[in-house]
Amino acid sequence: MGRKKKKQLKPWCWYCNRDFDDEKILIQHQKAKHFKCHICHKKLYTGLPPVPGAPGMPPGIPPLMPGVPPLMPGMPPVMPGMPPGLHHQRKYTQSFCGENIMMPMGGMMPPGPGIPPLMPGMPPGMPPPVPRPGIPPMTQAQAVSAPGILNRPPAPTATVPAPQPPVTKPLFPSAGQMGTPVTSSSTASSNSESLSASSKALFPSTAQAQAAVQGPVGTDFKPLNNTPATTTEPPKPTFPAYTQSTASTTSTTNSTAAKPVASITSKPATLTTTSATSKLIHPDEDISLEERRAQLPKYQRNLPRPGQAPIGNPPVGPIGGMMPPQPGIPQQQGMRPPMPPHGQYGGHHQGMPGYLPGAMPPYGQGPPMVPPYQGGPPRPPMGMRPPVMSQGGRY
Amino acid sequence: MTGSNEFKLNQPPEDGISSVKFSPNTSQFLLVSSWDTSVRLYDVPANSMRLKYQHTGAVLDCAFYDPTHAWSGGLDHQLKMHDLNTDQENLVGTHDAPIRCVEYCPEVNVMVTGSWDQTVKLWDPRTPCNAGTFSQPEKVYTLSVSGDRLIVGTAGRRVLVWDLRNMGYVQQRRESSLKYQTRCIRAFPNKQGYVLSSIEGRVAVEYLDPSPEVQKKKYAFKCHRLKENNIEQIYPVNAISFHNIHNTFATGGSDGFVNIWDPFNKKRLCQFHRYPTSIASLAFSNDGTTLAIASSYMYEMDDTEHPEDGIFILQVTDAETKPKSPCT
Repeated sequence: MGRKKKKQLKPWCWYCNRDFDDEKILIQHQKAKHFKCHICHKKLYTGLPPVPGAPGMPPGIPPLMPGVPPLMPGMPPVMPGMPPGLHHQRKYTQSFCGENIMMPMGGMMPPGPGIPPLMPGMPPGMPPPVPRPGIPPMTQAQAVSAPGILNRPPAPTATVPAPQPPVTKPLFPSAGQMGTPVTSSSTASSNSESLSASSKALFPSTAQAQAAVQGPVGTDFKPLNNTPATTTEPPKPTFPAYTQSTASTTSTTNSTAAKPVASITSKPATLTTTSATSKLIHPDEDISLEERRAQLPKYQRNLPRPGQAPIGNPPVGPIGGMMPPQPGIPQQQGMRPPMPPHGQYGGHHQGMPGYLPGAMPPYGQGPPMVPPYQGGPPRPPMGMRPPVMSQGGRY
Repeated sequence: MTGSNEFKLNQPPEDGISSVKFSPNTSQFLLVSSWDTSVRLYDVPANSMRLKYQHTGAVLDCAFYDPTHAWSGGLDHQLKMHDLNTDQENLVGTHDAPIRCVEYCPEVNVMVTGSWDQTVKLWDPRTPCNAGTFSQPEKVYTLSVSGDRLIVGTAGRRVLVWDLRNMGYVQQRRESSLKYQTRCIRAFPNKQGYVLSSIEGRVAVEYLDPSPEVQKKKYAFKCHRLKENNIEQIYPVNAISFHNIHNTFATGGSDGFVNIWDPFNKKRLCQFHRYPTSIASLAFSNDGTTLAIASSYMYEMDDTEHPEDGIFILQVTDAETKPKSPCT
């Protein structure tokens, strides 16, 4: 009885039965007041492509073009200006249910009757398919309770593209579906918790994240995968910090691998050592501290050249044959301060008796070298060696 | 400031200290290798230097084969063995590039060296002679012996686990869980795993058993970081040493701090006072009563002026090294 159609049907909120002038205002109202998870009372998210003008949408998002294929097969194309996920609703409501009847699930949903008795707090179907942003609402082809959104915990994970249910499913989860606990707007970590509980293989790192970690005194112990700097894949971590230098690191290591005698002069990869809030106390090159120190001139003097074995030296007993026995360390004081580093030469240069320890002239540096245990800045004797010596040191 | 249980060794090396190692059967003797090309033996309780011998280049690592034989290698590419009783020296062999690590494996009775020539060499200490050369993917930065296994850390953040009784193939190839260059690896005395530190103030505790349920237990934590003026200074963690009995470990960083960690309860047990400069090397004595700390500037920042390098000897107590609660 009564007309089924009015000339002009103003949008109304079917949750609270309030009339609105404008669709936009209606949507805003619904989102503000009704679209809440009944468990955690957080706001729900439609999960549908953003539409400009919808509250919460950042500006600049282009509107959907008319005629864009519908989100689900069987649904009318998305039209600009239509409230996301709502347009279909209204149509059915208009044509089927008449005005002001709380039957959000129109003809699409077979079990209409089941719906109103839904939990009062539950937005019966309007709540835009929830928790997983980006997942289309219909993720399951189930008879009654269509969208698998609410089945999220047991459902396959985010990586599973939702198989679209064939044809005639409305956008909105059925009432029956609403009954299942919607842990919808839980945070990402709890998402991963449930996920890991159900599908261990996918996120081994998250499972690990659940391991009990006690808070230590003064430091933070975290499972490897929760460390901010690392990623979530323990077996093969990616290394964002090496962004720029990753390529160069790889290329450098490849090139050095080709030359077994790695010459330190090849250009090493560099590290990003400074950021806005932190500074890595390390030289920029990605070589070890010892390698870098070894490149200093003072350590280069008497080293064998690459490719040359420093031999000529049969593995004999005391090389110190050229030198007075060492055990008397205290003798160092006046005896051979410049000698210790050079003493070896006596052994290496069999034919160079001129370098006997005790012979000051070749070194020409006796006096300054006398007290070996002076304090002050360490200046290894080698640094003072005249060029003559260094030649002798090399083969 | 040294407390009553700490003192500084006399007659320290004249340049940076690269490595300190205690004698295997006593906490009385400490072997020290240095950038001044010397290797020194100290009598710790007497605080005196007993012996010194030379290389022709900076010495990067040293190790005891047994209480009377010291092995060392460094920039001169030479591996030397020195009889500490007779003061006799022996050039055992060479690498093609500087030798970075020298370690001894008691279970297999073999000396191990790692070098920047991307090889690991084994040596029979009795003859002594070379017992094999084994290629690594990169320059060897650190290595540690765990039972009869060898854990090698190389450039490019690679980690390789070898079976010293069967060096025909690599037992495990891994990548460091840390994003930055590997600085040091030390194996747990209980042979369950190893600790790996990087240049970025971070330490990872890893397990050798490759099964997933064991691998789940691995973790990493940040350390050796100081906040100054809202900028976090992140320091390399250069040294790790395990307490043989408690399986706790000490780390030393370029911030000059030494921390002792309980890996089972994931807590820090203790932090000592700040040392004058970077910690280059750490060594617990075999009985766990003494900790040798080499405080030696490592040229992280190119300073030519830096505090004096020195070796500090610390008597440690159970309170500082023992896990607080019964751990699993």
